[in-house]
Amino acid sequence: MKAALCFAGAAYFCIMKRLTILLLFAMFAVRAFAQKDSLAFDENNKYIYYQVVAQQGTAADSLFSRAVFFFDKGYPQVSLKTTGVTKAADARSINATGSFLVSKKSLVTSHEDGSVSFTMHVDVKEGKYRYWLTDFVFNPYQRDRYNNYVSVPGIYIPLEKPEGKIDKKDLVGYLDGVLLGSRKIGAKLKEFMLKNPPLQKKPEVKKISTKDW
Amino acid sequence: MKKKHLLFGLLAASFVTTKALAVSMPADTGKTAAADPPLVLSGSVDTYYKADFSGHSNIPTSFANENNSVSIGMIDLALKKKVGKAAFVGELSFGPRSDQSIPTSGYHIQNLYVSYDVTSAFNLTAGYMSTFIGYEVISPAGNFNYSTSYLFTSGPFQNAGFKATYAFSDKVSLMAGIFNNKWNYYSSLSTNGQTYGDVSTFGAQLMVAPVKGWTAYLNLITGSYSGTEFDLTTAYQITNAFKLGLNAATFSAPNNGGGFSGVALYPQLAVSPVVTFGLRGEYFKVKDNGGDVKALTVTSNIKAGPLTIIPEVRFDTKSDAFGASFTDSNGMATNHASQFLLAAVYAF
Repeated sequence: MKAALCFAGAAYFCIMKRLTILLLFAMFAVRAFAQKDSLAFDENNKYIYYQVVAQQGTAADSLFSRAVFFFDKGYPQVSLKTTGVTKAADARSINATGSFLVSKKSLVTSHEDGSVSFTMHVDVKEGKYRYWLTDFVFNPYQRDRYNNYVSVPGIYIPLEKPEGKIDKKDLVGYLDGVLLGSRKIGAKLKEFMLKNPPLQKKPEVKKISTKDW
Repeated sequence: MKKKHLLFGLLAASFVTTKALAVSMPADTGKTAAADPPLVLSGSVDTYYKADFSGHSNIPTSFANENNSVSIGMIDLALKKKVGKAAFVGELSFGPRSDQSIPTSGYHIQNLYVSYDVTSAFNLTAGYMSTFIGYEVISPAGNFNYSTSYLFTSGPFQNAGFKATYAFSDKVSLMAGIFNNKWNYYSSLSTNGQTYGDVSTFGAQLMVAPVKGWTAYLNLITGSYSGTEFDLTTAYQITNAFKLGLNAATFSAPNNGGGFSGVALYPQLAVSPVVTFGLRGEYFKVKDNGGDVKALTVTSNIKAGPLTIIPEVRFDTKSDAFGASFTDSNGMATNHASQFLLAAVYAF
């Protein structure tokens, strides 16, 4: 009986050990996955999330109309707003501005610490397109009397110049938020770029002659 | 050993899930989130030591009234959730600061309201809410100074009612609402305070943001039961480091029962990401020859992550006619009072 209990205990111990190892593996896998791409600095020493996507066999015209559709319908205007469209045959591009909500890492669900605004740019060519997000500027949030976290007006800090303005640990959390936000937008753009926008059917209005009846 | 492994396993699992949560949350861009946003928990705790230079408490403004004592403010716990267009906030508080801010003992509720975004510009909210009047608030995490102004102490703390807010643009919005006749209470009250009264207080707030960094709120609350107050609350973040706030108000009690008027200026200068210095200069006058008081408060906020250490000194000078009595270290009447205060506020 005692031996059976020992055996059962050993089996339980073994299962828990494996479970722990599996969970640790999952944890590191999440981290490894998270590091497959990252923010970089551009030629002006600004943070940039830059991606070039090959899409063989898709004409530049199609890619451009899909990108326009993405900026039109992908997000609400308050989250991503088109600021300029260049339609020249040799340089089709779209510019937009947007913002993410960011928060520090926390072991409990926490409120947002601020928002990071950005500019986004998309270029298309035959069979490929590229996009980048840059000009990341942090605007802190503070608690208001109704327990909402709202923008502190007038404080806008470029993430490249946090010295004396953003705590180092907080900056790491905000940059993580920017990276994940950029990826999320990139993934959604990719979805839109893979298919043509639905054709907008014009409602047909019948003509009726009132002379003959 | 088994328990240890089980605990470790659970901790590892929770780490994976909370980490995923912490990094996925920031990426949400408003209305595009597919999943329900999580229930958000926030709040604060605060504690303080106060030493009035007379050796006993003099300054009669709200909270932090215990002299030569390491005392507590309150624990404040708030839950918030928004799904689609509907949201709620429930905020509970316990402690002396809570007791002094709520007239109904035993309720411990600072905010309890539901709201609905009819459109992206039009919001309806109902319940028991912190007042829209004034510069300072009950939560110590929402104030720069730890001690409070005479204007804050004399105005409403909460208003229960129903309000509608329309944003004409991100620079102009207007709120109008009807509130219970009696300020601060959870329910309306009859004149004798024994039964229910009515929902007869009208409130309105015009918000304008003339330039980037500057917001101004012009507030009105009026009713035959609690009186009428006009209030201007404005703050201008002139640079990343310098902010200037202003609060001006005038109150008329019902049936020509007097009132008050006053103004407070709040300049603040951040000298580093963790240290900010600020002044509060206030002039407060009681109507009908009730005297006046001038108060100067010098405060610093020193931040260490979520913890804010607040050293503060305050000097009040009143006229003979002002109602509060100040006494010196010998117990003799005086028109001057001063105090040192050291507070710690942890906000999460």
